[in-house]
Amino acid sequence: MGLITILLLVLLAGAILSLLTKTTAQARGVALVSSFGALAISILMYLMYDANFNTVTHYAFEESGTWMPSIGIGYHVGVDGISLPMVILATIVCALCTVFSWTESKRPNQFFALLLLMDLTLIGVFVSLDFFMFYVFWELTLLPMFFLIGIWGGPRKDYSAIKFLIYTHIASVLMMLGIFALYYFHGASTGIYTFDIPTLVNAYKDGILPISQFWLDFIFVTIMFGFMVKMPSVPFHTWLPDAHVEAPTIGSIILAGVLLKMGGYGLFRVLLPMMGVASTWFIYLIALFGLVSILYSPFAALAQKDLKKLVAFSSIGHMGFISLGVAASVLAGMDPARVVAHTGAMFQMFSHGIITCVLFGCCGVIEHHTHTRIIDDLGGLTKKMPKLAILMIVGFFASLGLPLCSGFVAEFGILSGSYHTMPIFVMLAAISIPFTAGYHLWAVQRTMFGPYNEYLGDVKEIKWFEFLPLAIWTIIFVVLGIYPEPIIGMMQTTAEYFLLSGDVLPIGGIHVAAGGAFPW
Amino acid sequence: MVDYTALLPAGIVIATAVIVLLTGLFIEQKKILGYITLVGLLTSLGLVLKGWNANVIFDGAPFYGAIVVDPFAQIFNAMFLIVGVLVAIAALKAYGDNPRQDEFYSMMLLATVGMMVVAMSKDLLTLFIGFELASIATYAMAGFDKRDPKSIEAALKYFLIGGLSSSLMVFGMAYIYGLTGSTNIDTIASVFGANPGLVTTPAILLAMVMLIAGFGFKMAFVPFHMWAPDTYEGAPSIVSALLAAGSKKMGFAAAFRIFIVGLVAMKVDWYIAFMILAVLTMTVGNILAVVQTSVKRMLAYSSIAHAGYIAVVFVVVAYWNAPDSAVNLAVTGGLMHAFSHAIGKAAAFIAVGAIAYMILSKDKVDDPNHVSNYDGLAKRAPMTAFLFALLLCSLAGIPPLFGFTSKFVLFLSTIEAGLLGLAIICVLNSALSVYYYAKVVMRMYWGEPKGEAFVEPSTYVFVLAIAVIALIALFFAPGDLVYQWAETAAHAVTGV
Repeated sequence: MGLITILLLVLLAGAILSLLTKTTAQARGVALVSSFGALAISILMYLMYDANFNTVTHYAFEESGTWMPSIGIGYHVGVDGISLPMVILATIVCALCTVFSWTESKRPNQFFALLLLMDLTLIGVFVSLDFFMFYVFWELTLLPMFFLIGIWGGPRKDYSAIKFLIYTHIASVLMMLGIFALYYFHGASTGIYTFDIPTLVNAYKDGILPISQFWLDFIFVTIMFGFMVKMPSVPFHTWLPDAHVEAPTIGSIILAGVLLKMGGYGLFRVLLPMMGVASTWFIYLIALFGLVSILYSPFAALAQKDLKKLVAFSSIGHMGFISLGVAASVLAGMDPARVVAHTGAMFQMFSHGIITCVLFGCCGVIEHHTHTRIIDDLGGLTKKMPKLAILMIVGFFASLGLPLCSGFVAEFGILSGSYHTMPIFVMLAAISIPFTAGYHLWAVQRTMFGPYNEYLGDVKEIKWFEFLPLAIWTIIFVVLGIYPEPIIGMMQTTAEYFLLSGDVLPIGGIHVAAGGAFPW
Repeated sequence: MVDYTALLPAGIVIATAVIVLLTGLFIEQKKILGYITLVGLLTSLGLVLKGWNANVIFDGAPFYGAIVVDPFAQIFNAMFLIVGVLVAIAALKAYGDNPRQDEFYSMMLLATVGMMVVAMSKDLLTLFIGFELASIATYAMAGFDKRDPKSIEAALKYFLIGGLSSSLMVFGMAYIYGLTGSTNIDTIASVFGANPGLVTTPAILLAMVMLIAGFGFKMAFVPFHMWAPDTYEGAPSIVSALLAAGSKKMGFAAAFRIFIVGLVAMKVDWYIAFMILAVLTMTVGNILAVVQTSVKRMLAYSSIAHAGYIAVVFVVVAYWNAPDSAVNLAVTGGLMHAFSHAIGKAAAFIAVGAIAYMILSKDKVDDPNHVSNYDGLAKRAPMTAFLFALLLCSLAGIPPLFGFTSKFVLFLSTIEAGLLGLAIICVLNSALSVYYYAKVVMRMYWGEPKGEAFVEPSTYVFVLAIAVIALIALFFAPGDLVYQWAETAAHAVTGV
């Protein structure tokens, strides 16, 4: 039994045990042991990564076994430079979330069990190397989130929970059809029926599937749709603000911090190697999705009255950078800066995952202490909650891309690395920068500074169990902003393998038009 | 010397039915009959499972091929017996004090035998006899709560429509006999295969329309479904479980044999018919399920929708471009889905019965199945609510339950066959179905409780727990147990 299986089992055992407990203290104790145990295992995996890396398959900690051999379903897990940071992100976020919900008193056993289940299913998505398992975990992430929104959510929780469930479920079942087609055509042409992700993706990439361009595009589009809804990309984003507004703070943190990253992860793991074979204009479509998200989010955010909805829209913009970076990095171009864009996009997933935790955490603290999230009702909170004010200001600055924070490293990498292959897209994306800075600063100004709104009464300072996770997240993104090497190094190795080795993409990237430059 | 041991499972159930019926005349403490029923069913199930992977166990030579025991018959027998076991355990609680419970048990056993005979039939005559045996027993069972006008209405509707469908079926069978001179399904297939001229005669078209209509009523395909919601809603819950999970699967067992084996030469003709029926059935079933306010009626419509999914098997089999692997996969998926749906739906109806029982014990309500009664059920009856939610997940096709695996395989076959449009309709329907199942879960988990906590009847919880554990175990089971079984069964039917 390898470390990944142990990691999954620790969380499963924690979830079951926590469901059986009676009091908040017991449930919290189980959840702390289990989630920090998972964090410890993921850090251990990080430390042992190089020693366990298999240079043939390019995965570490690989485990495989049979499950349903008749239709080629196996238990196959492993991590590489894309998935290991995601696993670490999931364990960090979920472990600190258990601390953040120290005093949860409403159905504590179910709450902590769902939290651990959420952690389990998210990690499952990131480590699965079999499409059946991947899809099972992908679907399973819906359930804990559905219950977290539904039981602990706000006034319109029914609507939001069901919208979240159905919207993303429709996307997943269409993605399933793409997986089916990939499975069948691979089986029919090679005689090997399997759901193994590396096998299927490589077969598609190598062009050995004897199928028409229609089916190649069908496979690509359905899978892309599944990922784009999850990211989410404008115009498939409408479930996200509703889900965030009604979700409890923990739900929002995990939703924005880790769950959205499933879409981005899929983009790297499944779609990227396929890009050279599917119609090339899909690369521009993905970039366009990213660009529209980047441009749409600041304007939508500027119009929000609810602080949490504002943060939710900021997520959509940040996720757009990932699409843009991936699309730009695979296009042909002589410039090795493509690796920078690619690494930047990967790093953006990790970085946004940490920064957004602070933003949603601050929203949650403000709501918890002042009982409102409406920006106009807030003001001058620095006077009452100085510690929160520091965290929130640092968090919002990180989110707008201030240097010395990890968000800057990621977005700078994406924009500078994409410039050579997609100059117009990058210039258009740059339009968003002042507006992004604008809504962040304006939001901080209206909530934290100015005269204190006396209607709020006597607001207490942030509690220790709220402060501690926020502070740790803040330290992580600041440290990674100054010295990103611990995470970005691993990603860069994978990016170089993807882009430069010729194993995943043609050397030099995908040629779109003569000369390989952007055709417009 | 012919080995008759393969017929033992059916024989044991018949013997148990007779014993229960006769003993019931003489004893006062009738609860023991429930246990006798259970022992009979479990023994039979054990024998079926013991020989699950044998290829042809009994070729029916002594009966001139009218009764065969092959993997196809075995997998359906297992389904019927599992449903029978679940219903029998639930009946221990539901009818434990009923003075007429001996009749209930014996009718249930006879219905099970009827279904098993249908699954084992390779002859139109035995098939029809089995059909009638199961139908007549279930007509009476639907009206078992004879003081409840809804139960009477259910029984009457079921009886009238059942009679109509039987007559349509016999009409179709008579024409087929007239055309081929045989009632043996294999002979019918070879006669049609050898005489392509027969295939285009108007008489065979008429026969097929009659058969499709007759089976359409039994399997509750839209537009032959009108009786099903009323019957499933009005009948006692555990009888609805038997009807939706057992009786309906019997229709599929018969239709698989007749269409896929017997009338395969005419598949181009029934391709269109089943395509329309499958799409209509799943779409109408799901849309009407969304608007229901009674959970029991919602389950009835969801049962119609599931019949639509299984009907996809006929479409794939009949599709001329479908490769052999897709045909086999479709039948395999259909059998797996029938299996998962049988367990899930039987247990779901039993859960509805258990919840109605608890609600009637505490609250004063007109309709215990109304969805508003499910508010806060997770607090009032945590075990039942949890298990019911998992059963709904299985019906919705959400992992980690077997309902997901079976849907996965079934829908996979549509893509293999190249029926892209049908595949998209299927998955969108499946996504729609999540909506109404989730609505019930939402009521149970975050509705405001309407009263104090219930005492959960342990018998019901036990039944539901068995079903849920079985569904989870079948999902995780390494070595794809049911898949292999269903695949062998599929080979027995498709012959490729």
